[in-house]
Amino acid sequence: MRAIRLVAGRELRALFDAPVAYVATVASLLVVLSLFSTEFFLAARLDLTPLFRWIPAAAAVLLPALAMRLWAEERRRRTFELWVTLPLSAAEVVLGKFLAGMGIWLLFLLGTSPAVLLLYALGDPDGGLILSSYLGAILLGALLLAQALFLSSLTREVVVAFLTGCAGSVLFLASGAPALTAILDGLTPELAPGSLVAAHLSALLRYDSFCAGYIGLGESAWLLGTAAVFLALNTWTVRNIRD
Amino acid sequence: MIRAAALTRDFGDLRAVDQISFEVQPGEVVGFLGPNGAGKTMVLRMLSTYLTPTAGELSVAGHDVVASPLEVRRSIGYLPEHDALFDGMRVRAFLEFCGRAHGLDEAALQARVAALVERCDLSRVCDQLVGTCSKGYRRRVSLAAALLHDPKVLLLDEPTHGLDPLQVAAFREHVAELREGRAVLFSSHVLAEVTATCDRLLLLHHGRLLIDERTEVLTERADSEGKDLEGLILDAVRSPHEEASA
Repeated sequence: MRAIRLVAGRELRALFDAPVAYVATVASLLVVLSLFSTEFFLAARLDLTPLFRWIPAAAAVLLPALAMRLWAEERRRRTFELWVTLPLSAAEVVLGKFLAGMGIWLLFLLGTSPAVLLLYALGDPDGGLILSSYLGAILLGALLLAQALFLSSLTREVVVAFLTGCAGSVLFLASGAPALTAILDGLTPELAPGSLVAAHLSALLRYDSFCAGYIGLGESAWLLGTAAVFLALNTWTVRNIRD
Repeated sequence: MIRAAALTRDFGDLRAVDQISFEVQPGEVVGFLGPNGAGKTMVLRMLSTYLTPTAGELSVAGHDVVASPLEVRRSIGYLPEHDALFDGMRVRAFLEFCGRAHGLDEAALQARVAALVERCDLSRVCDQLVGTCSKGYRRRVSLAAALLHDPKVLLLDEPTHGLDPLQVAAFREHVAELREGRAVLFSSHVLAEVTATCDRLLLLHHGRLLIDERTEVLTERADSEGKDLEGLILDAVRSPHEEASA
């Protein structure tokens, strides 16, 4: 645990040493809050649905931007060799880096708090719904960060790491989009591949259930379990991939 | 302290290290000599646990590099060929981070950092970002980081690469001080550097160990053959080529 804390602390500071964390976090926040404000005032409804609708899109860009710095940049700068020759296990380094990325994701979510304060200033919103939505956002972030970290560990090109991380995120999100599901189901209705893909691959469907106020054990386990699989794969790559 | 037996490392069809065997005892400074691409860095990378051997046995301080990599890493101080430093950290913070990664407690850590800042002459750059340090200072920061936990084994890959003559002389003095109770293995493709610093010389070429001999024995052999040491080494490197072409 001491080693994981040490790595997480170092990586969190390193993320803030580079402008990419500031720029990506602040830009994502501004975009999400602007889109939320526009929809919120147009709909004139006292809920955070517009905010949580845009959070997955922000995660799909912000988290790969963080992940590319966490591994691909290390391989490009040859500091990867330092990580794997210090007396730290691969799992400790991977978890430390993951927690540093989650730290930034939590800061991003904290940055959306003005929207919550606005709701409380204007009325009496459903606190339980807000909490479950934030929990869903945290778990969704954990999954998207874990997959982007794994993909980042496969390359020394930061742009490739970013783009594959974004593509992986889109896969987990778009696979549950109703329009895509309908199109795929329409291709071969007897097999219903869209529904099949959504049921097995969609992080968005699980996230949506949190945003509807339902904290399901199955949904939580799926999001956390899939994140754990990617962290395990990341540990394997750190042990085995060498430049 | 270091033991390699039939150590082999392949990269696809390329055999980078070919069944080499050697030992390094505490108090010994052994130089790995060979032209570029001889396999010196590969052997040091296997000793550092960065790479795993394809075949053979390799152990450091009694720990197998494959079975017990963490114990090996705790026993070694490793200076890689290319400085692996976090450029965004200040020199002192970087050293403290490495010390904590090695499990030093705070009191011991501060004492070791202070001693190594003094010993490696880093006081001028201590509060500077690593990325803004000159090549010479970066090398010294790497050396200080490698020595923080007082390792039993020192692995130095081209340690004087990029240093000016004064820094090279200082480094030689440094290695002489470090040998006490430690096994030191360092690679270089500069013969003068190896002979000036090492008790024993390992000559590697195309992944094969051609010579494993004490430096003074080699000097005597060169004298008896009417050559200088450089001539003897060059003959040893050339002869496999001649055998191959014959």
